[in-house]
Amino acid sequence: MDKIRVLIAKPGLDGHDRGALVIAQALRDQGMEVIYTGLRQSPEQIVASAIQEDVDCIGLSCLSGAHNELFPEVVRLLKEQGADDILVIGGGVIPAEDIPYLESQGIAKVFTPGASTKDIADYIRLALKEKKRKLLVDPPKKIAHIGIAVKSIEDSLPFYQQQLGLALEGIETVESEQVRVAFLKVGETRIELLESLSPDGPIATFIKHRGEGIHHLALEVDDIEARLKQLKENGVRLIHEQPKEGAHGAQIAFLHPKATGGVLLELWQYDQQTEEAWA
Amino acid sequence: MSKEEEFRKLYEQWRRKTEELIAKFPERKEVFVTSSGIPVERLYLPEQLDDQYMERLGFPGQYPFTRGIHPTMYRARQWTMRQYAGFGSAEETNKRFHYLLRQGQTGLSVAFDLPTQIGYDSDDPMARGEVGKVGVAIDSLEDMETLFEGIPLDQVSTSMTINAPAAILLAMYIAVAEKQGVPAEKLSGTIQNDILKEYIARGTYIFPPQPSMRLITDIFAYCSRHVPKWNTISISGYHIREAGATAVQELAFMMANAISYVEAALEAGLEIDQFAPRLAFFFNAHNNFFEEIAKFRAARRIWAKLMKERFGAKKEKSWMLRFHTQTGGSTLTAQQPDNNIVRVTIQALSAVLGGTQSLHTNSKDEALALPTEESARIALRTQQIIAYESGVGDTVDPLGGSYYVEALTDKIEQEVYRYLDKIEQLGGAVKAIEQGYMQREIHKAAYEAQQRIESGEDIIVGLNKFQIDDEPQPEILRVDPKLGEKQKEKLNHLRARRDSAKVEQALSRLRAAARGTENLMPPILDAVRAYATIGEICNVLREEFGEYRG
Repeated sequence: MDKIRVLIAKPGLDGHDRGALVIAQALRDQGMEVIYTGLRQSPEQIVASAIQEDVDCIGLSCLSGAHNELFPEVVRLLKEQGADDILVIGGGVIPAEDIPYLESQGIAKVFTPGASTKDIADYIRLALKEKKRKLLVDPPKKIAHIGIAVKSIEDSLPFYQQQLGLALEGIETVESEQVRVAFLKVGETRIELLESLSPDGPIATFIKHRGEGIHHLALEVDDIEARLKQLKENGVRLIHEQPKEGAHGAQIAFLHPKATGGVLLELWQYDQQTEEAWA
Repeated sequence: MSKEEEFRKLYEQWRRKTEELIAKFPERKEVFVTSSGIPVERLYLPEQLDDQYMERLGFPGQYPFTRGIHPTMYRARQWTMRQYAGFGSAEETNKRFHYLLRQGQTGLSVAFDLPTQIGYDSDDPMARGEVGKVGVAIDSLEDMETLFEGIPLDQVSTSMTINAPAAILLAMYIAVAEKQGVPAEKLSGTIQNDILKEYIARGTYIFPPQPSMRLITDIFAYCSRHVPKWNTISISGYHIREAGATAVQELAFMMANAISYVEAALEAGLEIDQFAPRLAFFFNAHNNFFEEIAKFRAARRIWAKLMKERFGAKKEKSWMLRFHTQTGGSTLTAQQPDNNIVRVTIQALSAVLGGTQSLHTNSKDEALALPTEESARIALRTQQIIAYESGVGDTVDPLGGSYYVEALTDKIEQEVYRYLDKIEQLGGAVKAIEQGYMQREIHKAAYEAQQRIESGEDIIVGLNKFQIDDEPQPEILRVDPKLGEKQKEKLNHLRARRDSAKVEQALSRLRAAARGTENLMPPILDAVRAYATIGEICNVLREEFGEYRG
């Protein structure tokens, strides 16, 4: 990630900026780029500087008791100008009972006297990461399918079809992964049986080490490309950084099990037409 | 005569003079004793009086005043207990003043809200959210009349924390007194009026340094003639310290500023002994007990030497550093606020042992909000317990002669001179401020202090050690959120009612004065009497003088 850029601002008429200056210095020492507005800034001026300086975070400091009027105004103006991706935190002489109100108004966090500068820096880092993560559109919609590695599709199918009574939707070959796959519909999701096409293919290797069984979970997502980019920026280990074509023309990509707690996760995106084609 | 005999003779002279004084102004008791009945002497001296003692310490009430400015100090009269107060409207603050006076407070100290301090009316867009928050909102003489209703201004002394618009607030005070039938000659009190520390530390400036200095010297000149008992400036280390300065920096930078005021007044043609006796000082007291005491003692010695040797003042009163002390707001923690009562006690005690003339003790809840009535009372009681129960004021300068305190006093003096030399090299305080020198020094000290707290090298009880979980939230004072609106209404009312031709006339006379060189106090007084608002008066001056941008 690029250097975090922070605007430290003094809204209102309060001239006590020891706290603001100490935090600005501390954040610089923590490797961030910090701009200090100086005293007596109106919410309008603060928002204009934040947008112009393209900051990731605004830290507001106020000791005069005007925070309930001035802090929410900054958030409101950011929203109005479409810059509400900027994280806003506050600090100063702020009674505990005001904090829930400020948070309800979009101040992400309020640091009161005694907060350590390291905690503030850590918070900014984490919150910005979280914020970026949240930018990842919506959570995956559902489990698209559960992949099960089998030595032979023909040998495995009778259990699923006859004992469980699941309907086979089709069998196809995915050359890129060196597999043959069979899909069985279960409610809104599917079971995918995977059989290796070659003795050195990934499924064959998997069975050699672990035996037959659950191989991966596929999560259905929108905009797989944006999601992969975001995951990469957040430092999540990926097997595929770009989506590739999977069964039924869906766009797929695998996340590394090291990043997911030992489960091989597949991201899976297909359009409505593909979905209809299954039916 | 041997040296020793000579010193004994000087001591005898001091003793006789002091006794004459006591005959006229008796001490609080005829005999002071400890709780075991051991007599407490007025003054304790070393076995041997020598050159060094006479030069560095001397006797209390005598040059260089290291041991205090009065020969009897608190044996004759306790310090003034002056709690800083003000919030919301003039009505509310007037009630708090009456409450504090009933509780035994002996002087008033007014906190003004930020719009008032920066010269904006309550309905100015810049005042949004700030009206009545950190002090009382004063827009015009009308508010000032309400503020002092039922308080006879010839019987209290009033300190006003007002800097950039000090001339206007002083004019309002004089005008209220006129309405009460009290002549200006009888008024006593202090305006903070120290603009240089605003550029360094507190940020409530309006005009650039040059016209600000003119306003100050105009006040010096006007008061020396018309308000002779008024302290025309309170040169403040307090805010410099709160901004993060060390004890040495606090003293050094306030002295550098003081030198600038003296020089400005001399350049304006005033006589040193005409204004110097009305210069007052304002110190902070933090937790390092002995260092604070030594700081106050060193301050008196430095000032006495500066005034006598450098500026050639002749009057003894010009050599005396008289000061108010406030305990350190920034030392208070939001965590476990009751602990703050103990901090304040230690700090207040250092001020008393250091010989302060008046004292404000902070309330325990000030890291959270403005003090409640209860917390303000505890703070005042803290002073009263020190004054009436501890016995520390029963002898003069009780720590004089302590090896440690004397060594610290000398060391602080030395370090202060080092800073003064450096500032002199930069061209004086105004130049040093313009170059950001003091600001950088303070900022560095503040940052280092924060790092020591975070690393645990400095322990702050309840904050980085001995914490408790789930602290109950204390009750705090809340200023009426509708106050801004009410104040606006009041202001509209006033504007409709007053004689606007008279206001216009007064404001154009002020403008003409600002363009020329005449003393600004008389036209300001006229504008105030015509009920011109603080915003209107300051806007005229803003247009003529320009505004300072930090």
